[in-house]
Amino acid sequence: MLALLPQLLLTGLTIGSIYALVAVGFVVIYNITGILNFAQGEFPMIGAMLCAALLAAHVPLAPAAAVAVAATCMLGALTERLAIEPAFGSHPLTLVIITFGVSMAFRGVALMVWGADPYALPEFTPGAPLEVLTGVLGRQAMWAIALSVLVVGGLFAFFARTLPGAAARACADNAFASRLVGISPRRMALLAFTIAAGIGAIGGIVIAPITGATYDMGLGLGLKGFVAAVMGGLTNAPAAVAGAYVVGTIESLVTGYLAPGYGSAITFALLLIVLSLQREGLWQTARRRQV
Amino acid sequence: MSRDLAAFGVLAAVLALIPALRPSAYVMALLNIVGLYAIVTIGLVLLGTSGQVSLGQAAFYGIGAYTSALLARDLGWSPWLAMPCAVALVAVVAYAVGLPALRLADVFFVLATLGVGVIVNVLMVQLDPLTGGASGLRDIPPLAIAGRRLTTDRDYFYVIWTAAVAALAVARNLAAHRTGRALRAILGSEVGAAALGIDVPRYRIRVFVLSAAYAGAAGALYAHYIRFISPAPFALYASLFFLIMAVVGGLTNIWGGLLGAGAVTALDQIVRAEIPRLFPRVGGEYQTAIYGIILVLIMIFFPSGIVRGALDVRRLLRAGTAAAGGARA
Repeated sequence: MLALLPQLLLTGLTIGSIYALVAVGFVVIYNITGILNFAQGEFPMIGAMLCAALLAAHVPLAPAAAVAVAATCMLGALTERLAIEPAFGSHPLTLVIITFGVSMAFRGVALMVWGADPYALPEFTPGAPLEVLTGVLGRQAMWAIALSVLVVGGLFAFFARTLPGAAARACADNAFASRLVGISPRRMALLAFTIAAGIGAIGGIVIAPITGATYDMGLGLGLKGFVAAVMGGLTNAPAAVAGAYVVGTIESLVTGYLAPGYGSAITFALLLIVLSLQREGLWQTARRRQV
Repeated sequence: MSRDLAAFGVLAAVLALIPALRPSAYVMALLNIVGLYAIVTIGLVLLGTSGQVSLGQAAFYGIGAYTSALLARDLGWSPWLAMPCAVALVAVVAYAVGLPALRLADVFFVLATLGVGVIVNVLMVQLDPLTGGASGLRDIPPLAIAGRRLTTDRDYFYVIWTAAVAALAVARNLAAHRTGRALRAILGSEVGAAALGIDVPRYRIRVFVLSAAYAGAAGALYAHYIRFISPAPFALYASLFFLIMAVVGGLTNIWGGLLGAGAVTALDQIVRAEIPRLFPRVGGEYQTAIYGIILVLIMIFFPSGIVRGALDVRRLLRAGTAAAGGARA
């Protein structure tokens, strides 16, 4: 029983790092635009599927991954321009329903293009796994953890050190005031969707060798990432990352010790608990965000 | 409001006429499904009147179906007793969910209902000894009137559409009177409504429980009509489907519920027939792509539903000015 624990924790760490990439995407978009983007989970799906399709066309892994991420970024920008921008300033509920629609559209189109069968991606660097206590950490899991740390770190550097990052932060802080100094909230929204899509795609490509890639992987990833983001308070990226590791660990422990099928039910029970505990905070955050 | 009365007259006349036309079993079954979906959607529209949206309706639909099926099948209750008990249970569950969830800001309330929907669906699959797991429950007893078992689509047409018209009448009366005014005031401004002495939390929980009860009643009827249930039709996808119906009809118009259910079910049949011809190798839920795009387009261009949207467009064209586009979600 206890011998299983290190392995379950390592598994939790691995899936937690992917949820972290999805959760950070949520936070980036929510902070800058005030929109909860439920299509967020589709970006990892698109990234992984595009990468798999390119590999099938005999493109080497590194360029295939790069092209897949870039293409997903463009799809993210397109989503913002075609679906979000026309409804800019609508009721928040309208925008949430729109993102659900976008998510359905992506899923349906992916099914039409790639079919329902799962695609496999090769491991980035095949080799023997690392043994930690009584558990093993695969090479790909190490890639997942390292890349998530790298991407989240890079994102912090972007927002803290660069001019576009500072503009995005200004927009998140006060969209009206930032317009007065020449920052366009709509352009920042475009930036947010592009970045969030790219981060998501990286997550999808790095997890696909472990879990496989299917057209419907986005819904689960998106919802788990969202739970993580809510646990972190929705506006706080480091807290969202921590939330992602908590969600990943709990899911892994529940799957290992209780019953495999209850994983998502537990995650959502957690969401309900967090929502009801934080409702004052969330309420205020939500009000403050609606600029 | 005599227009509503006239509309009810027309609806009753059309419904009475349909069996006389002797439609095929396929059309009859389709109309029955439209009736069931209409009941769920009318409940969702009632909820929408107060500015709330739920993505947990499929769960309430499912709890209604499973409860009534189990009471009638395993305990041997009459379905006529099992169905009200199922609806009562759904109402209790909705009350327990709504009490904490309705304190959340609108967007977070949607997520709470979504979470409940996922949890209920997982329980349907996992509580195998009770629910039959993923393979579901078979041999659910049908309804019976005066000792005659109702087994044909035609029999259920009368039952389901009586229920649907009753649901519509109740919703119409609620919307037209004090409750409806209170709900619309809440939609306009919660603070404003509270300042007028409207007990906002009480109205919100009541309308949420009522909308869940509508879904539960439709689910119970579904169980005794189809006589086989499994977790698949009660997943998140179904909740989104109900939301699309409500949005197509217009989230704040009771008649929109009926219209949305009819229009989306008809569209679904066309899509299911046509898409395999265009994309021969796909299977499964490929139609989600089309619904997703429809959902996005409606929310962008006609957030008050297609009927109101069309009326607005006509009025705009007639007035020749862009001043009258007062559509809001």
